[in-house]
Parts: sequence; C-alpha cells; structure tokens
Amino acid sequence: MAVLGRELADRLGWITPEDYALAFAIARVTPGTNIIAFCAAVGWQVLRFTGALAAVLALTAPTAVLSVFILKLLESGSEHPFLMGAIAATVAAVSGMMWSIVWMLVGPHFKGINKSSRAVIIAGGSFVASWMFNITPVPILGIATLIGVLWQDPPPPKKDDAGA
Amino acid sequence: MNPLVIYLLLLKASLTSFSGLGSLPMIRNDFVIERHVLTDRQVNMAVVAGRTGPGPFGLYLVVIGYQVDGIPGGIAEFLALITPAFLVLPMMHWLGKRADNPRIRGAIRGLLLGSAGLLAAASVPLSRDAITGKLSLAIMVASFALLSFTKLESAWLMVGAAAIGLAAKLF
Repeated sequence: MAVLGRELADRLGWITPEDYALAFAIARVTPGTNIIAFCAAVGWQVLRFTGALAAVLALTAPTAVLSVFILKLLESGSEHPFLMGAIAATVAAVSGMMWSIVWMLVGPHFKGINKSSRAVIIAGGSFVASWMFNITPVPILGIATLIGVLWQDPPPPKKDDAGA
Repeated sequence: MNPLVIYLLLLKASLTSFSGLGSLPMIRNDFVIERHVLTDRQVNMAVVAGRTGPGPFGLYLVVIGYQVDGIPGGIAEFLALITPAFLVLPMMHWLGKRADNPRIRGAIRGLLLGSAGLLAAASVPLSRDAITGKLSLAIMVASFALLSFTKLESAWLMVGAAAIGLAAKLF
C-alpha cells in the first residue's frame, strides 16, 4: 500500500495525499483482504466504479490463476520423492508462517497492563473457546468485537497547568 | 458442492476477517470439520500455493474453492474474495473520517484479537499435520522466527524451505 501511495500520489499525481490517507484508513476497517479494499478505494477515487473494478481485477485475477497452476504443479509431482520432500518442508514453513501471523496480530497489543490484559483475555479466550469447547467462529468473533468496543483505552492523564 | 454454497461460505469467512489468513479458522471449520470436503493437508497445500506466487494473502481461498469443486469452485471463491472489497465504496462515501472513531477502532481491535485466537486454534492441528520429524519442526520454528522478527518476504521463505527439503532427500 505504501508503494502504491508513492506511485499514485507522489509520482503520478492521480490522487492527493489526503485521498490516499482516507483510502488507507477505510481499507483498514473493511472486512476481507485489506490490500484488495485499498485498491478498490483508490480505483474509485481515480475512475469511480470502473476504476475500482479494474484495480481489483488487476490485483487478483492473474495471481489467482497462477495460484491454481502452482497447486496443479505441486499435486502433479506429489508422488515424486524429491518433490515430496520439498512440499513437506514448504508445508512446515507455512505452519511457522501461521504462528508468525498470530504473533503479528497479538504482539503490538502487549503494551502496559490494560492493553496486555485485554489482548490476553480476548485472544486467549477465543483460542480456548475454539480449541477446547469447539465453539464456532462467528459467536466468538461477535463477543470479541463487543469486548473490544466496551474495553477502551483509559484516557491519557491530564497535565496539571500549575505544575503541582 | 454447489458453487453458490461455496461462495456463501467463503463470503462469510471473508466478511469476518481483516487479514489474509484471518479467514482460515472459518474455512477449516466449514470445509474440514463440518462438511469433510477437505483435509488439513489440503488446506495446508492451498496456503502453500497461495503464498508461493505473488499477490495478496487471501488468494489461498481461490485454491480452496478449486480443490472443493474445480473451476466453478475457484470462480466462486474468487468472487467471494473480491466481494468484500467493494464494501469500501459506500464506506468511502458515508464513513469518511469516522474511521478514527474510538468505538469503531475498539471493535476492529477486538475482532483482530479474536481472529488471532481463532487462528492459533486452527494452526494447532495444521501444525500437527505439517510436523513429521525434526527437520520439519526446525523449519517451522525458523519460519516463525524469520517472519516474525525480520523483513524477509514469505515467498523467499517458501523457496528456501523447498530447497532444504529437496536437499534433505538428495543427501
């Protein structure tokens, strides 16, 4: 998104930095894959719906087809022992990637007692509810969202003008 | 499976996630646990195929759809992947500067943390499937460390892991 911002706002001048900031902020709160929403937003700013559609298709269609071809390639060689070794190692790497994403989502929230407690309760509670009690994701995410709304950061301490 | 059902299941997964792999717990729940149309190994393979090539993280959904119902499933999943992005258009119009509203930010924070917990729960069985010996365990730990604490592009990690796996078979 940063690269696209530099290209579209700084170099080409198709959108203003304010347009970029708005597209970035709204894409962050749009469900699904943020980068796709960001491209839709920027495309809409440049050429309305046609631009949004073109931007989304350009980002996703060729790479989606390529992903299916990669799968076919992996499957076609799945009986070959050398390729099996490569696939097994890649699957292990993907497993590590999943845990790194868990850390990426949770890690930034471990700051101070209030934020850390909130992170532990929401993320840990979701883990326990899914893993130990087999509760389906939708109610878990609903409760997590509700806790997020209700459990706000405390207001910053007011500065004492008198310096006392 | 009916492509419309696939589309709706994937749309549900996309709409309740805010990151590429955030939809993984919902996918596993719907396709592996409840409907038994995929195995954990196939889900792992879909993520590998989605991440080996360029493009957004969520592309593995298209591969999932293809695995479930061939080309119609892949198209259904592709549409489910891009549909939520168009929600941004009315949101651009109406939400505007409210994206910084503390309650909206709090809701998203709660959703992200909940997704992290669910992703951890979904990763446990997938990791069990992926770890078959000391080498795969070492690769998983190295993958976690490299992606968490360096700026390494994940596609290079896939290539490196594949090379190590190949070398292990050769020597």
